[in-house]
Amino acid sequence: MSEPGPVRYPASPSAPAVAAQLPERRAATEKLSDDTRLAVEIRGLVGRGHVHEARERFSGLVIAHQRRALRIAYQYLRDSADADEAVQDAFVKVFGHIDSYRETWPFEVWFTRILINGCLDRRKARLRRDRWFVPAEEARGADEARRAFGGATDLDPEARLLARERRDRLDDAVNRLDGRQRTVFMLCHYGDCTPREVSAVTGLNESTVRVHLFRAARKLRGLLGGKP
Amino acid sequence: MIGRAHHLQDDRLFECYLSGLEGAPVNGLVTTHLAECAACAEHLRELVQFMDGLREEADTETDAIFTPERLRIQQQQILHRLEHLGHAARVLSFPARLMGRRMVRTASRVAPRWAIAAAAAGLFVGVGVGTLIDPARGKSAAPMAAIPLVVSPVLPVVSDPPAAGDDDTFLSDLEMALSGPRNLELMPLDALTPRVKAVSTQLP
Repeated sequence: MSEPGPVRYPASPSAPAVAAQLPERRAATEKLSDDTRLAVEIRGLVGRGHVHEARERFSGLVIAHQRRALRIAYQYLRDSADADEAVQDAFVKVFGHIDSYRETWPFEVWFTRILINGCLDRRKARLRRDRWFVPAEEARGADEARRAFGGATDLDPEARLLARERRDRLDDAVNRLDGRQRTVFMLCHYGDCTPREVSAVTGLNESTVRVHLFRAARKLRGLLGGKP
Repeated sequence: MIGRAHHLQDDRLFECYLSGLEGAPVNGLVTTHLAECAACAEHLRELVQFMDGLREEADTETDAIFTPERLRIQQQQILHRLEHLGHAARVLSFPARLMGRRMVRTASRVAPRWAIAAAAAGLFVGVGVGTLIDPARGKSAAPMAAIPLVVSPVLPVVSDPPAAGDDDTFLSDLEMALSGPRNLELMPLDALTPRVKAVSTQLP
Protein backbone atom coordinates (compact mmCIF):
# COMPACT_ATOMS: atom_id res chain seq x y z
CA MET A 1 0.00 0.00 0.00
CA SER A 2 1.60 3.25 -1.04
CA GLU A 3 1.78 6.14 1.35
CA PRO A 4 1.57 9.61 -0.10
CA GLY A 5 4.42 11.98 0.61
CA PRO A 6 4.03 14.97 2.88
CA VAL A 7 1.56 17.58 1.83
CA ARG A 8 3.50 20.55 0.48
CA TYR A 9 2.66 24.17 0.10
CA PRO A 10 2.15 25.50 -3.36
CA ALA A 11 5.09 27.60 -4.45
CA SER A 12 5.24 30.98 -2.77
CA PRO A 13 4.39 33.77 -5.17
CA SER A 14 7.20 36.13 -6.07
CA ALA A 15 7.27 39.72 -4.83
CA PRO A 16 6.04 41.32 -8.08
CA ALA A 17 3.28 38.80 -8.31
CA VAL A 18 2.26 39.58 -4.76
CA ALA A 19 2.29 43.30 -5.51
CA ALA A 20 0.10 42.74 -8.55
CA GLN A 21 -2.34 40.72 -6.49
CA LEU A 22 -2.42 43.15 -3.60
CA PRO A 23 -5.86 44.60 -4.27
CA GLU A 24 -7.25 41.09 -4.69
CA ARG A 25 -5.62 39.97 -1.49
CA ARG A 26 -6.93 42.97 0.36
CA ALA A 27 -10.37 42.06 -0.87
CA ALA A 28 -9.77 38.50 0.26
CA THR A 29 -8.60 39.68 3.67
CA GLU A 30 -11.85 41.50 4.15
CA LYS A 31 -13.65 38.19 3.70
CA LEU A 32 -11.56 36.28 6.21
CA SER A 33 -13.32 33.58 8.11
CA ASP A 34 -13.63 33.87 11.88
CA ASP A 35 -10.93 31.33 12.62
CA THR A 36 -8.54 32.92 10.14
CA ARG A 37 -9.11 36.32 11.71
CA LEU A 38 -8.51 34.83 15.14
CA ALA A 39 -5.30 33.18 13.93
CA VAL A 40 -4.06 36.52 12.58
CA GLU A 41 -4.90 38.13 15.90
CA ILE A 42 -2.99 35.43 17.80
CA ARG A 43 -0.03 35.88 15.49
CA GLY A 44 -0.04 39.58 16.30
CA LEU A 45 -0.20 38.91 20.03
CA VAL A 46 2.70 36.48 19.84
CA GLY A 47 4.64 38.99 17.78
CA ARG A 48 4.13 41.66 20.43
CA GLY A 49 5.16 39.23 23.17
CA HIS A 50 1.72 38.77 24.73
CA VAL A 51 2.07 35.01 24.77
CA HIS A 52 -0.23 34.42 27.70
CA GLU A 53 -3.08 36.26 26.03
CA ALA A 54 -2.31 34.52 22.75
CA ARG A 55 -2.62 31.16 24.48
CA GLU A 56 -5.98 32.10 25.88
CA ARG A 57 -7.24 33.14 22.46
CA PHE A 58 -5.81 30.00 20.93
CA SER A 59 -8.15 27.87 23.01
CA GLY A 60 -10.94 29.24 20.81
CA LEU A 61 -9.25 27.78 17.76
CA VAL A 62 -8.78 24.48 19.55
CA ILE A 63 -12.46 24.25 20.42
CA ALA A 64 -13.50 25.22 16.89
CA HIS A 65 -11.34 22.64 15.10
CA GLN A 66 -10.86 19.88 17.65
CA ARG A 67 -13.77 17.61 16.75
CA ARG A 68 -13.17 17.78 13.04
CA ALA A 69 -9.44 17.22 13.55
CA LEU A 70 -10.11 14.16 15.67
CA ARG A 71 -12.48 12.79 13.07
CA ILE A 72 -9.85 13.13 10.35
CA ALA A 73 -7.02 11.79 12.50
CA TYR A 74 -9.02 8.86 13.81
CA GLN A 75 -10.25 7.82 10.37
CA TYR A 76 -6.68 8.08 9.16
CA LEU A 77 -4.95 6.27 12.02
CA ARG A 78 -7.75 4.01 13.31
CA ASP A 79 -6.40 4.27 16.84
CA SER A 80 -7.83 6.66 19.39
CA ALA A 81 -4.59 7.19 21.32
CA ASP A 82 -2.65 7.87 18.14
CA ALA A 83 -5.35 10.22 16.90
CA ASP A 84 -5.39 12.04 20.23
CA GLU A 85 -1.64 12.58 20.12
CA ALA A 86 -1.65 13.56 16.46
CA VAL A 87 -4.26 16.25 17.09
CA GLN A 88 -2.44 17.55 20.15
CA ASP A 89 0.82 17.68 18.24
CA ALA A 90 -0.84 19.52 15.36
CA PHE A 91 -2.27 22.20 17.65
CA VAL A 92 1.02 22.63 19.49
CA LYS A 93 2.89 22.86 16.21
CA VAL A 94 0.43 25.41 14.88
CA PHE A 95 0.87 27.60 17.93
CA GLY A 96 4.63 27.25 17.79
CA HIS A 97 4.72 28.33 14.16
CA ILE A 98 1.89 30.82 14.22
CA ASP A 99 4.31 33.59 13.24
CA SER A 100 4.79 31.88 9.88
CA TYR A 101 1.07 31.70 9.15
CA ARG A 102 -0.09 33.85 6.24
CA GLU A 103 -3.73 34.62 5.73
CA THR A 104 -3.38 33.93 2.01
CA TRP A 105 -4.76 30.54 2.95
CA PRO A 106 -7.62 29.98 5.35
CA PHE A 107 -6.50 28.84 8.77
CA GLU A 108 -8.46 25.63 8.34
CA VAL A 109 -6.41 24.70 5.28
CA TRP A 110 -3.12 25.46 7.03
CA PHE A 111 -4.06 23.53 10.12
CA THR A 112 -5.40 20.55 8.18
CA ARG A 113 -2.20 20.38 6.18
CA ILE A 114 -0.14 20.19 9.37
CA LEU A 115 -2.47 17.59 10.82
CA ILE A 116 -2.40 15.39 7.73
CA ASN A 117 1.38 15.50 7.56
CA GLY A 118 1.52 14.44 11.20
CA CYS A 119 -0.88 11.58 10.52
CA LEU A 120 1.17 10.43 7.52
CA ASP A 121 4.32 10.43 9.65
CA ARG A 122 2.59 8.40 12.30
CA ARG A 123 1.30 5.87 9.79
CA LYS A 124 4.77 5.42 8.40
CA ALA A 125 6.22 5.05 11.89
CA ARG A 126 3.57 2.49 12.73
CA LEU A 127 4.30 0.48 9.59
CA ARG A 128 7.96 0.42 10.54
CA ARG A 129 7.13 -0.56 14.11
CA ASP A 130 4.71 -3.29 13.08
CA ARG A 131 7.48 -5.00 11.15
CA TRP A 132 9.21 -5.70 14.44
CA PHE A 133 6.55 -5.72 17.10
CA VAL A 134 3.21 -7.39 17.55
CA PRO A 135 0.50 -4.70 17.36
CA ALA A 136 -1.18 -3.80 20.61
CA GLU A 137 -4.43 -5.73 20.33
CA GLU A 138 -5.61 -4.59 23.74
CA ALA A 139 -5.79 -0.94 22.71
CA ARG A 140 -7.46 -1.83 19.46
CA GLY A 141 -9.89 -4.05 21.31
CA ALA A 142 -10.77 -1.24 23.69
CA ASP A 143 -11.44 1.07 20.76
CA GLU A 144 -13.62 -1.51 19.12
CA ALA A 145 -15.56 -2.05 22.29
CA ARG A 146 -16.24 1.67 22.60
CA ARG A 147 -17.20 1.85 18.96
CA ALA A 148 -19.49 -1.12 19.23
CA PHE A 149 -21.20 -0.26 22.49
CA GLY A 150 -20.67 3.43 22.98
CA GLY A 151 -22.07 4.61 19.69
CA ALA A 152 -24.97 2.28 19.26
CA THR A 153 -26.36 1.54 22.67
CA ASP A 154 -29.88 1.66 21.34
CA LEU A 155 -29.26 -1.26 18.99
CA ASP A 156 -29.80 -4.90 19.83
CA PRO A 157 -26.74 -7.18 19.95
CA GLU A 158 -27.29 -8.54 16.46
CA ALA A 159 -27.53 -5.07 14.97
CA ARG A 160 -24.43 -4.01 16.88
CA LEU A 161 -22.53 -6.99 15.55
CA LEU A 162 -23.62 -6.20 12.02
CA ALA A 163 -22.61 -2.57 12.46
CA ARG A 164 -19.22 -3.64 13.74
CA GLU A 165 -18.69 -5.99 10.82
CA ARG A 166 -19.66 -3.24 8.44
CA ARG A 167 -17.15 -0.87 10.04
CA ASP A 168 -14.44 -3.47 9.75
CA ARG A 169 -15.25 -3.93 6.08
CA LEU A 170 -15.21 -0.17 5.61
CA ASP A 171 -11.82 0.09 7.34
CA ASP A 172 -10.48 -2.61 5.09
CA ALA A 173 -11.91 -0.97 1.99
CA VAL A 174 -10.50 2.47 2.86
CA ASN A 175 -7.12 0.92 3.58
CA ARG A 176 -7.13 -0.60 0.14
CA LEU A 177 -7.43 2.79 -1.51
CA ASP A 178 -4.40 4.25 -3.17
CA GLY A 179 -2.52 6.72 -0.90
CA ARG A 180 -3.67 9.88 -2.66
CA GLN A 181 -7.18 8.59 -3.14
CA ARG A 182 -7.37 7.86 0.56
CA THR A 183 -6.11 11.30 1.55
CA VAL A 184 -8.48 13.05 -0.80
CA PHE A 185 -11.41 10.89 0.23
CA MET A 186 -10.76 11.41 3.93
CA LEU A 187 -10.32 15.13 3.68
CA CYS A 188 -13.41 15.54 1.60
CA HIS A 189 -15.55 13.03 3.36
CA TYR A 190 -14.49 13.13 6.98
CA GLY A 191 -12.87 16.55 7.04
CA ASP A 192 -15.82 18.30 5.39
CA CYS A 193 -13.51 19.88 2.84
CA THR A 194 -14.69 20.89 -0.60
CA PRO A 195 -12.59 19.74 -3.56
CA ARG A 196 -11.18 23.24 -3.78
CA GLU A 197 -10.09 23.15 -0.15
CA VAL A 198 -8.64 19.67 -0.61
CA SER A 199 -6.76 21.06 -3.58
CA ALA A 200 -5.35 23.81 -1.36
CA VAL A 201 -4.43 21.34 1.37
CA THR A 202 -2.76 18.78 -0.85
CA GLY A 203 -1.41 21.03 -3.57
CA LEU A 204 -3.12 18.88 -6.19
CA ASN A 205 -5.08 20.34 -9.06
CA GLU A 206 -8.76 20.67 -8.27
CA SER A 207 -9.80 18.53 -11.24
CA THR A 208 -7.27 15.90 -10.10
CA VAL A 209 -8.88 15.98 -6.68
CA ARG A 210 -12.27 15.38 -8.25
CA VAL A 211 -10.94 12.46 -10.27
CA HIS A 212 -9.31 10.90 -7.18
CA LEU A 213 -12.49 11.39 -5.23
CA PHE A 214 -14.64 9.81 -7.91
CA ARG A 215 -12.31 6.81 -8.23
CA ALA A 216 -12.18 6.38 -4.47
CA ALA A 217 -15.97 6.43 -4.22
CA ARG A 218 -16.33 4.00 -7.10
CA LYS A 219 -13.81 1.61 -5.57
CA LEU A 220 -15.45 1.82 -2.17
CA ARG A 221 -18.86 1.11 -3.62
CA GLY A 222 -17.40 -1.90 -5.43
CA LEU A 223 -15.68 -3.19 -2.30
CA LEU A 224 -18.59 -2.58 0.01
CA GLY A 225 -21.12 -4.27 -2.17
CA GLY A 226 -22.75 -1.18 -3.60
CA LYS A 227 -22.86 -0.51 -7.31
CA PRO A 228 -19.37 0.27 -8.67
CA MET B 1 -21.26 13.21 -20.82
CA ILE B 2 -24.51 11.41 -21.47
CA GLY B 3 -24.19 7.78 -22.48
CA ARG B 4 -25.44 6.05 -25.55
CA ALA B 5 -28.43 4.76 -23.70
CA HIS B 6 -29.20 8.38 -22.82
CA HIS B 7 -28.32 7.82 -19.18
CA LEU B 8 -25.89 9.83 -17.11
CA GLN B 9 -22.55 8.16 -16.57
CA ASP B 10 -21.15 7.57 -13.10
CA ASP B 11 -18.66 10.44 -13.22
CA ARG B 12 -21.43 12.85 -14.18
CA LEU B 13 -23.59 11.58 -11.36
CA PHE B 14 -20.68 12.03 -8.96
CA GLU B 15 -20.25 15.61 -10.15
CA CYS B 16 -23.90 16.16 -9.31
CA TYR B 17 -23.26 14.78 -5.82
CA LEU B 18 -20.24 17.06 -5.35
CA SER B 19 -22.18 20.05 -6.61
CA GLY B 20 -24.79 19.29 -4.00
CA LEU B 21 -22.12 19.27 -1.30
CA GLU B 22 -20.57 22.52 -2.44
CA GLY B 23 -23.90 24.19 -3.06
CA ALA B 24 -22.84 24.84 -6.62
CA PRO B 25 -25.37 24.87 -9.46
CA VAL B 26 -25.70 21.70 -11.51
CA ASN B 27 -25.44 21.77 -15.26
CA GLY B 28 -28.82 22.66 -16.77
CA LEU B 29 -28.88 19.71 -19.18
CA VAL B 30 -28.12 17.31 -16.37
CA THR B 31 -30.82 18.79 -14.19
CA THR B 32 -33.32 18.41 -16.99
CA HIS B 33 -32.26 14.84 -17.62
CA LEU B 34 -32.52 13.95 -13.97
CA ALA B 35 -35.99 15.38 -13.85
CA GLU B 36 -37.05 13.25 -16.80
CA CYS B 37 -35.12 10.02 -16.25
CA ALA B 38 -36.25 8.03 -13.24
CA ALA B 39 -33.36 5.52 -13.55
CA CYS B 40 -30.69 8.22 -13.38
CA ALA B 41 -32.47 9.96 -10.54
CA GLU B 42 -32.55 6.63 -8.70
CA HIS B 43 -28.82 6.10 -9.34
CA LEU B 44 -28.05 9.54 -7.98
CA ARG B 45 -30.20 8.90 -4.94
CA GLU B 46 -28.34 5.64 -4.27
CA LEU B 47 -24.98 7.35 -4.62
CA VAL B 48 -25.94 10.14 -2.25
CA GLN B 49 -27.34 7.62 0.21
CA PHE B 50 -24.14 5.55 0.07
CA MET B 51 -21.84 8.53 0.60
CA ASP B 52 -23.98 10.05 3.33
CA GLY B 53 -24.13 6.68 5.06
CA LEU B 54 -20.35 6.48 5.16
CA ARG B 55 -20.13 9.95 6.63
CA GLU B 56 -22.79 9.32 9.26
CA GLU B 57 -21.13 6.09 10.33
CA ALA B 58 -17.81 7.84 10.71
CA ASP B 59 -19.39 10.63 12.74
CA THR B 60 -21.15 8.19 15.04
CA GLU B 61 -18.03 6.15 15.51
CA THR B 62 -15.82 9.14 16.29
CA ASP B 63 -18.36 10.67 18.64
CA ALA B 64 -18.60 7.38 20.52
CA ILE B 65 -14.86 7.34 21.12
CA PHE B 66 -14.20 11.03 21.66
CA THR B 67 -16.84 11.91 24.18
CA PRO B 68 -17.32 15.51 25.39
CA GLU B 69 -15.36 14.63 28.54
CA ARG B 70 -12.46 13.36 26.49
CA LEU B 71 -12.56 16.47 24.30
CA ARG B 72 -12.38 18.64 27.42
CA ILE B 73 -9.42 16.69 28.74
CA GLN B 74 -7.66 17.01 25.43
CA GLN B 75 -8.22 20.78 25.42
CA GLN B 76 -6.61 20.99 28.85
CA GLN B 77 -3.70 18.86 27.73
CA ILE B 78 -3.11 21.04 24.69
CA LEU B 79 -3.17 24.22 26.76
CA HIS B 80 -0.87 22.62 29.31
CA ARG B 81 1.60 21.74 26.58
CA LEU B 82 1.38 25.25 25.19
CA GLU B 83 2.31 26.67 28.60
CA HIS B 84 5.57 24.75 28.47
CA LEU B 85 6.26 25.59 24.85
CA GLY B 86 9.51 27.48 24.46
CA HIS B 87 10.67 26.77 28.00
CA ALA B 88 14.02 25.12 28.30
CA ALA B 89 13.79 21.46 29.13
CA ARG B 90 14.56 20.53 32.73
CA VAL B 91 18.00 19.00 32.95
CA LEU B 92 18.30 16.05 35.31
CA SER B 93 21.54 15.58 37.19
CA PHE B 94 23.80 12.90 35.85
CA PRO B 95 23.26 9.80 37.98
CA ALA B 96 26.95 9.10 38.62
CA ARG B 97 27.53 12.58 39.94
CA LEU B 98 24.41 12.36 42.06
CA MET B 99 25.48 9.00 43.43
CA GLY B 100 28.95 10.27 44.22
CA ARG B 101 27.52 13.22 46.10
CA ARG B 102 25.34 10.95 48.19
CA MET B 103 28.15 8.58 48.88
CA VAL B 104 30.29 11.39 50.23
CA ARG B 105 27.49 12.46 52.51
CA THR B 106 26.96 8.93 53.71
CA ALA B 107 30.61 8.48 54.44
CA SER B 108 30.94 11.72 56.35
CA ARG B 109 27.75 11.71 58.43
CA VAL B 110 25.86 8.46 58.62
CA ALA B 111 28.54 5.82 58.34
CA PRO B 112 30.33 6.38 61.67
CA ARG B 113 27.13 6.09 63.71
CA TRP B 114 25.82 2.88 62.24
CA ALA B 115 29.31 1.43 61.91
CA ILE B 116 29.95 1.88 65.61
CA ALA B 117 26.57 0.44 66.48
CA ALA B 118 27.08 -2.52 64.14
CA ALA B 119 30.53 -3.26 65.53
CA ALA B 120 29.24 -3.18 69.10
CA ALA B 121 26.30 -5.41 68.23
CA GLY B 122 28.57 -7.86 66.39
CA LEU B 123 30.91 -8.08 69.35
CA PHE B 124 28.04 -8.63 71.75
CA VAL B 125 26.43 -11.30 69.60
CA GLY B 126 29.76 -13.03 69.00
CA VAL B 127 30.56 -13.25 72.69
CA GLY B 128 27.04 -14.39 73.48
CA VAL B 129 26.96 -17.07 70.81
CA GLY B 130 30.42 -18.28 71.77
CA THR B 131 29.36 -18.63 75.39
CA LEU B 132 26.20 -20.53 74.40
CA ILE B 133 28.03 -22.94 72.07
CA ASP B 134 30.72 -23.91 74.56
CA PRO B 135 29.83 -22.73 78.08
CA ALA B 136 32.52 -24.90 79.69
CA ARG B 137 35.24 -23.13 77.74
CA GLY B 138 33.72 -19.82 78.74
CA LYS B 139 33.93 -20.82 82.38
CA SER B 140 37.54 -21.96 82.14
CA ALA B 141 38.59 -18.47 81.17
CA ALA B 142 41.36 -19.80 79.01
CA PRO B 143 43.35 -17.25 77.07
CA MET B 144 41.92 -16.50 73.64
CA ALA B 145 45.17 -17.39 71.94
CA ALA B 146 44.96 -20.94 73.21
CA ILE B 147 41.54 -21.58 71.72
CA PRO B 148 41.84 -23.17 68.30
CA LEU B 149 40.29 -21.26 65.41
CA VAL B 150 36.77 -22.29 64.56
CA VAL B 151 36.70 -23.25 60.93
CA SER B 152 33.84 -21.67 59.03
CA PRO B 153 31.38 -24.32 57.75
CA VAL B 154 31.48 -22.92 54.22
CA LEU B 155 35.22 -23.44 53.96
CA PRO B 156 36.35 -26.88 52.82
CA VAL B 157 38.03 -28.87 55.49
CA VAL B 158 41.52 -29.83 54.49
CA SER B 159 42.19 -33.33 55.69
CA ASP B 160 45.97 -33.44 55.50
CA PRO B 161 47.42 -30.03 55.17
CA PRO B 162 51.03 -30.06 54.11
CA ALA B 163 53.61 -29.15 56.64
CA ALA B 164 54.61 -25.54 56.81
CA GLY B 165 58.04 -26.03 55.37
CA ASP B 166 57.09 -28.56 52.74
CA ASP B 167 56.26 -26.12 49.99
CA ASP B 168 57.89 -28.13 47.27
CA THR B 169 55.73 -31.14 47.98
CA PHE B 170 52.58 -29.01 47.97
CA LEU B 171 53.44 -27.35 44.66
CA SER B 172 54.34 -30.60 43.00
CA ASP B 173 51.06 -32.14 44.17
CA LEU B 174 49.20 -29.18 42.80
CA GLU B 175 50.98 -29.42 39.48
CA MET B 176 50.21 -33.11 39.22
CA ALA B 177 46.59 -32.50 40.06
CA LEU B 178 46.25 -29.86 37.34
CA SER B 179 47.92 -31.93 34.69
CA GLY B 180 46.19 -35.12 35.68
CA PRO B 181 43.62 -36.89 33.50
CA ARG B 182 40.71 -35.82 35.74
CA ASN B 183 41.27 -32.15 34.78
CA LEU B 184 41.55 -32.59 31.07
CA GLU B 185 37.87 -31.81 30.55
CA LEU B 186 38.37 -28.46 32.26
CA MET B 187 41.14 -27.43 29.91
CA PRO B 188 38.83 -25.96 27.22
CA LEU B 189 37.19 -23.83 29.88
CA ASP B 190 40.57 -22.76 31.08
CA ALA B 191 41.55 -21.83 27.53
CA LEU B 192 38.46 -19.70 27.22
CA THR B 193 39.16 -17.81 30.42
CA PRO B 194 41.09 -14.60 29.76
CA ARG B 195 44.39 -14.22 31.47
CA VAL B 196 45.06 -11.19 33.56
CA LYS B 197 48.21 -10.50 31.70
CA ALA B 198 46.61 -10.78 28.28
CA VAL B 199 43.72 -8.56 29.28
CA SER B 200 45.99 -5.94 30.78
CA THR B 201 48.02 -5.74 27.59
CA GLN B 202 44.89 -5.26 25.49
CA LEU B 203 43.59 -2.44 27.59
CA PRO B 204 44.42 1.05 26.34
